[in-house]
This record gives sequence, structure tokens and C-alpha cells, in this order.
Amino acid sequence: MKRLFTALGICALTLALPLGVLAAEVKIGVMCPLTGKWASEGQDMQKIVSLLADEANSQGTLGGNTVKLVVEDDAGDPRTAALAAQKLVSSGVVAVIGTYGSAVTEASQNIIAEADVVQIATGSTSIRLTEKGLPLFFRTCPRDDSQGVSVASQIQKMGAKKIAVLHDNSSYAKGLAEEARDVLKKQGVELVFFDALTPGERDYTAILTKLKATGADLVFYSGYYPEMGMLLRQRAQMNWNVLMLGGDATNHPDLVQIAGAEAAKGFYFVSPPMPQDLDSEAARAFLAAFKTKYGGEPSSVWAVVAGDAFKALAASIAGGNTEPEAIAEGLRQLRDLPGLTGNLGFDRKGDRVGAFYRTYVVDAQGRFILQP
Amino acid sequence: MEEFLQQLLNGLAVGGIYALVALGYTMVYGVLKLINFAHGDLFTIGAYLGMTLLVSSRLAGSLPPVLVLLAVFFMVALLVALVGCLLERAAYRPLRKASRLSAVVSALGASIFFQNAIMLIYGARLYVYPEDWRPDFTVDILGFTVPGVRLLVIVASLVLMLALHAFIQRTRIGAAVRAVAIDQGAARLMGINVDRIISLVFLIGPGLGGAAGLMVGIYYGQIDFTMGWSYGLKAFTAAILGGIGNIPGAMLGGLLLGVIEALSSAYVSMAWKDAIAFLVLILILIIRPTGLLGERVADKL
Amino acid sequence: MMNSASRRRAASVILALVLAVLPLLLDRYWTDVCVSIGLYALLALSLNVILGQAGIFHMGHAAFYAVGAYVTAIVNTQCHVPVLWLMPLAGCAAALFALIVARPIIHLRGDYLLIVTIGIVEIVRIALVNDVGGLTGGANGIFGIARPELFGFKIRKGIQFYYLVWGMVGASLLLLGWLARSRFGRALSYIKEDDIAAEGCGVDVARYKLAAFVLGAFWAGMAGTLYAAKMTIIAPESFSFMESVIIFAVVILSGGSQLGVLVSTFLFIGLPELLREFSNARMLIFGLAMMVMMVWRPQGLLPPLPRRYRVRERLSRLLPRGAGDAAEAGNTREVPHVR
Repeated sequence: MKRLFTALGICALTLALPLGVLAAEVKIGVMCPLTGKWASEGQDMQKIVSLLADEANSQGTLGGNTVKLVVEDDAGDPRTAALAAQKLVSSGVVAVIGTYGSAVTEASQNIIAEADVVQIATGSTSIRLTEKGLPLFFRTCPRDDSQGVSVASQIQKMGAKKIAVLHDNSSYAKGLAEEARDVLKKQGVELVFFDALTPGERDYTAILTKLKATGADLVFYSGYYPEMGMLLRQRAQMNWNVLMLGGDATNHPDLVQIAGAEAAKGFYFVSPPMPQDLDSEAARAFLAAFKTKYGGEPSSVWAVVAGDAFKALAASIAGGNTEPEAIAEGLRQLRDLPGLTGNLGFDRKGDRVGAFYRTYVVDAQGRFILQP
Repeated sequence: MEEFLQQLLNGLAVGGIYALVALGYTMVYGVLKLINFAHGDLFTIGAYLGMTLLVSSRLAGSLPPVLVLLAVFFMVALLVALVGCLLERAAYRPLRKASRLSAVVSALGASIFFQNAIMLIYGARLYVYPEDWRPDFTVDILGFTVPGVRLLVIVASLVLMLALHAFIQRTRIGAAVRAVAIDQGAARLMGINVDRIISLVFLIGPGLGGAAGLMVGIYYGQIDFTMGWSYGLKAFTAAILGGIGNIPGAMLGGLLLGVIEALSSAYVSMAWKDAIAFLVLILILIIRPTGLLGERVADKL
Repeated sequence: MMNSASRRRAASVILALVLAVLPLLLDRYWTDVCVSIGLYALLALSLNVILGQAGIFHMGHAAFYAVGAYVTAIVNTQCHVPVLWLMPLAGCAAALFALIVARPIIHLRGDYLLIVTIGIVEIVRIALVNDVGGLTGGANGIFGIARPELFGFKIRKGIQFYYLVWGMVGASLLLLGWLARSRFGRALSYIKEDDIAAEGCGVDVARYKLAAFVLGAFWAGMAGTLYAAKMTIIAPESFSFMESVIIFAVVILSGGSQLGVLVSTFLFIGLPELLREFSNARMLIFGLAMMVMMVWRPQGLLPPLPRRYRVRERLSRLLPRGAGDAAEAGNTREVPHVR
């Protein structure tokens, strides 16, 4: 009899022990490029998520739980990402936020899925990431196909007849360029050019000269802001007045600085709205907190969607879910949670629901003006 | 035809910058037979220092802009030259007697070190030169509108090349540099202070690299901490193309590389541009194994 | 008193024992790091044949690795051939590729060869990114590569990969070590020391150099198979010039001996992982460490030991008893290792 009690006692203790620990602290991994070519976005991701986590912990909005962040650098490189993911899952996280870049995210997907840990990707828009049927995979960014549709409709709106499409051969930009091309083709728009430039260079005059010779009246570039800035600037130096349109990776304040306000004027791009353009309480509160802690505003929307990932996770954890499966279930049930870039919710595949692409135009002072 | 000429001009402008970076590269190689992989990062340091000086410069109000630019130019060249000299002391001098590839690995380490040091000091975001320091005047030549800075870049690299060539060929110190390049031991026996000559080379090479960084900053406006790696690689390619160690060769190689890139992106494929440039390099080396202007080195027997 | 040869032998035995039990003591993450180290060790061993033994300035090894990995990925995903069976095929493809590209350039002098090999790795990467022949999947790469199977046993866990990869490393050490001591290996080191003298002695320098290239590429191609099987997804970023640079630096730091290659791989691939807690600064420290290590040991960590020839034994076998005493200067003669 005594022995039975002892056994029961031990059982109770072993059961209570993990429960006690779990109720106190939930570990969340953050995988982001702290070094390498995307270090700027990655360091912002870390800043934003840790800001939100500190807030949630101090305000006790997690239903009695606290979160602890485990941050790992993926260097924007698939191999490093695989190791970072491995490190995160062995450190006992229940969920991983990240990362930036579809190919990098993909290298971590299997490892995180095999460890039965929730993953919320941030800047990873490649379609096939959510087409694999991984039950614990989500993302807070849109997919390339939804952006492709927005781009095509914007091109229609701008009334261009001959379109040149340019990408940078990255997994993301090429995917978007192809989506846009396919939609445009269906609409019967004439495509006069489709090719890739080499990202990271300074001089794109050779490409612009070639584009000019095709007689295009609109150039759509699906890549990132550094190249877009140079394209705009060098186009202005050539005195070539062609309409320029960018994808969401051109949404960055440095774009205007690179191009110069004069050259950037009249440049259109489609993007999820930045928190500074949203009139929601969540966005305002976040911006104020970011400004007090780090000074300035977050520069990339892709870092901000990492904040959205945290918000979604926090909402699920606050609902009492501390195990990966339960957290995932909680995420699936989220509806219209006020996030930093609009309302949050996920569909069955784990994609973010809702069309939140908007069009911006750059005005004469170099400000990004959200179009109605 | 007009498009072709325009593309040629585009290529020459890009090539002028490659040439400018390649001059420092080839200078160091010519004397030490060392492939200084950190040269590209010294170039980046030049670009960042130039920006810092231009932004914080108190000179701006009191002096005419041209003088400010010149002052900044010399300050950057001097500072980067000092960094280069320190690098040589710390990372290359102890390896002078070792296998040449050991020094190459040390140079690669230095490259990683500098790149990350810049990232830690300035942060990972890219920087833009202040708008006032990015001259936007244009010049009309034969019916083409050419941005003036492009011409300046080509002229500057030409002038620097000629000056360097004259320095090496015509002056006494230049003769000492050539002597050290040919045979360090014999040079020492002739009373040349080899260490001092090598330090001098490591002042000139990195100084030129730093100046090139400043010019890229002024010309293109946009700088980031990883830019040195690709410019360094292009400059290395250019130097090899012209025959490494040969100063006019670096100039020729740089311009040629720029033109090859521009023409292949115009007429073949933009995405394959760099591959085509390397292919041309390989073909040239198969025909001329020591580059275009490289001297045939007699094999030791 | 142990001489350096037996000291190294003892070190090798200890290292082998440690490696054999290591994964039992490590968590999943460190096991994975060790798998990664094993893959790099394979690559470094294969590059060592070209760079360390034959002294060819080759900085484009990732190109051959990429060919192996992509051949594996393409054949496996399209024709569903089991991954491990593809190892010889991947090796052959890489070797064939090496044969074709190296033939016209093998006569180039050091630094010119260096830039050409860099060019090759860049051309390969650009070709992969541009989705050549619609087979390589562009920047996305290829995904869904099957897990390897060994005698009907599916390898999926880190620890299983560990033994697969390090088993392969062990086999390579034996084979390549034997090769280094063979006539072929001796010819290579002759070429490295002085290729003109080698040519003068009747060594067909170009052919030996080419053979070293092809052999190294074959091994790198097989390493590519293991990489593809481990990652199940491959993308062009994994085969960049920087990757070649790392393998190059591993071999140079090693000094050229096989034990040195292993130690140096552990340093190069393990160190950045150990430095993870420094987050932003980790690559800075890594670069600094690279310089310090080279300055500290310019000749590399463990250069190959000078060869020993047992002159007396041979003589006494050849000559009648007593006459062997003529070789009294010592029973072994060291051939100094000149750099």
C-alpha cells in the first residue's frame, strides 16, 4: 500500500513538474538572418519580436504564461538555416517564427515539421511552401499568386500597353514575375520583355538602354529596393519617362534616398500596408513602442510581419495552448485578430487570409502615399 | 548603331570603375605575388569613410564643394592606406616566407573580418550618399548625353593609371619597387629596404582602393557592407584579364570587362552576363595564358 | 619517446574512437553539426588531392560538388532511383565535367588557374539559377529528394546520417591515404614541389594533374549525393563561390595531411557554430580566427610528415650479409619536405 502511494506520488510529481514549468514559460524560436546580405531585415525582425515579447510578458497578456525567445541566425543561407532550425528544435521551442526568403525557409521546413513544432514563416511568399500539407506550418505574409493578381490589375489601371517585366532571379522575385506575367498574358497585354538582372550591382544602364529599345511603356520590376532605386535613378539620368512599377520588396524608405526624390517621383508599387499607414490601434501602439525603444520606424514590412507572427502566436498561447498541436489549432481558429499590418487569420493550408495588397505612389517629396 | 554606341559607353563607364579597383589589386600583386582578397573590403571601407566624412564634414559650409571633395578624397585615401598598411603588418608580413596560399587564406580571413566589422560599426542597412554630393551634370558628346560623373570616373582612372605607371617606371623609388618585385633577396643586397618598399606598396594599393570606393559612392550613391566582395572579384578578373601585375593591363582589363558585360547583357542575355564574362576570360587565357599584356614569364630551370 | 609519426598514429586512433561514440553523447543539433562537418571533411579530402597533393590552385570545388548534388537530385526526383545508388553516377558526372573543363586550362600558371576555377564555379551557379534545360529548378532548386536507404533500412535521423557520412569519410581516408602513398601520390607531390623537374624525370605532368582533378571531382560529386540526401532540398545558394572558399581555406589550413584536414574541418565548420552566441559578431571573430591561425601556423596545422625509406632493410635484402653495413649513415633516411 505504501509502495502504491509512493508510486502514485512520483507519477503525480512527474506529471506536475512539466506542467508547472510549461505554465511558467513557453519557449518561442526566432530564426532570422542576423548576418549576411539580409542582415538589415533580420536584425529588425529580432528587434520587433523581442519588443512584442517583452510587452506581452510585462503586461501579462498570455493567459498566465510567459514567453522566452530563442533567437538563431540563419545568415540568409539554406545550409545555415537547417542548422539553426535544428538548434531551435533541440532547445525545446514550441514554435518558430521565421524566416526571410522562401528558399531559406524551405530548408528549415522539414526539420521543424519532423520535430512537431509550429512554424510561422514571415517573408516567404513562394506558393509551394503551404502546398505541402504540413499541418503545423503557417505564414503571415501573402503568397506570390495573390500579389501577381494585384500587380496585373494595377498595370491595367495605369493603362500601359507594352509591358517589360524584370526580375532578379531570386526565388521570390522570379515567382512573382512569372505570376504577374501569366495573369497579364491571360488578359491579352503585350509583353515586350522578360528577363533577370544581377542583383547587388550598381550600374543598370546597359539593361535600361536595352529596355528603352524595346519601346515598353511600363517596366515592372519584381525584385528588391536597392536595385529598384538604382533603376529609377539611372532611368532619370537617361531622360527616359517610362512608368515604373515595383513589387512589395521595393517598399523601403531607402528607395527614395537611393533614387533621389526627383527620380522616384511617380513610382508605383504594390505592397501590404506599413503600420505607419494603418489607422488601427494595434499599429499605432506598436509604432510608439518601437520608437521609444529603438528610435525611428521599422524599415521593412517583412520585418513587421514577424511581429504579426508573434501576435498570432501570443493570441493562441493566451487561449491556454502551450503544446505545438494545440497552438496550431488555436492559430487556425483565429479570426480578425488586429495585427500590425491588418487583421490576422489563417486558412486551412496555413496561409494568411484576406487580400491586403494596396498600391502606393511616391510623391514629389519622396513620401509613400497609400492609394485609395 | 546608336544603341550599340550607347552600350559601349555604358560598358566603358562600368569598366572605368573596375579598372580603378584593379589598379590597387595589381599593384600589390605585382610586388608581392599576393592575391589580396581583402582589397575589395578596403574599397568598401573607403566608401563608408567617404560618406562619414562628407556627412559630418564641417568644411562643407566654408569651402567650395570641389575643394571639399578633394580634401575628402585625400583623407579617405590616406586613412584606407593606413588600414592597408596595418593589415600587411598583421596578416601578411608574418606569412611572407610561407607558401603563397597561406597568405591567400589570411587575406580571405581579413576580407570576412572587415566586412563584418563594417556591419557591426555601421549596421547592416545600406547607406546612401547625401544628395548634395552626387553631382548630376551632363555633358553632350557627339549627340550623346553623358552624365558628367561617368566621364570623371574614366578620366580619373586614366590619370591614376598614368601617374602610377610613371611613378613605377620613372622614379628612383619606383625602380626600387620594381627591384623588390623581381627579387626581394637581391634587392635587399643592393641596399633597398624591402620592408619599407612593401609598406609603401601597401599604402598605395589600398589607398587607390579606398579612393575608388569613394568614387563609387559619389557616382552611384548607394553603398552597403557586402559591395566589396563582388567589386573585388571583378577587379581580380580585370587584373588577370590584362595580365596581373601589369598596370596598363589592369586598366585595359577593367575597361574590357565592363564592355564585355554591357554588350553581353545587351545582345545575349542579361541573366547570363557574368557567366559570359567569365567564359570570355577563360577563352582569352587559353589563347594567352598570361593575360592580354602579361609578359611571358620564363619558367625557372 | 614517441616520434611524430607514431604520435600522429595514436592521435588518429583516438580521433577515430571519439568519432565513433560521439553522436551517442551529443544532442540532435550537435549531431547535425557533426554531419555537416563530415560532409565538408569529404569535400576537403577530395580537394586535398588537387590542392594539397598536386598543388593545383583550385578555388572552384563547389562546382563539382554542385554537379554531383544536382545529378542526384534530378535523377532521384525524375526517375526515382534510390539515392545511394546514385553515388557512383554523381561521382562520374562530376568527374566527366571536371575532365571537360580542366583539359584546356590545366597548363595555366597558379593565379590564372585560380581565377579560371572561380569562373567555373560562378558559371555553374549562374547556370543553376537560370534553370538550365528546365531541370535545375532555378533559384528554388530541387525539393523532395528521397531519404537514402541502406539494405532496406531508411536513414532519416541525424545520428543515422552521422554514421553514414562518417563511414564514408573513413573509407575515403583509407582509399585516398593509400593513393597518396602510391606511385600516383608520389608523382603528385613531385609535381607540387617542382613540376619542371618532374617533367624532366619523365612524369607526364599535364596528365597527372588532370587525373588529380578528375579524382577530386569524383569524390566531391559523391559528397554531393550525400548532401542532397541529407537536405532533401538543394538550391544554388548552397554552391556559391563562398562555399568553395571555405573548402579551400580548410585544405590550406590543414597543411595537407589527412589528419590535418579533419582537424581543420572541425575548426572551420564547428567554430562558427560555437560562436553562435555572439550572434552578429560571429563572422567577425571567424575572420579574425582565420588570420590568426594562418599567422600562427603558416605551414598549416599538420603538414604531411617527411617520407621515410628503410634503406638498410632494403639493402640487406638485396645484398649479401655484411655488405649492408655500408649504408651505416643510419637505417632510415629522411627526405626533407621542402615547400
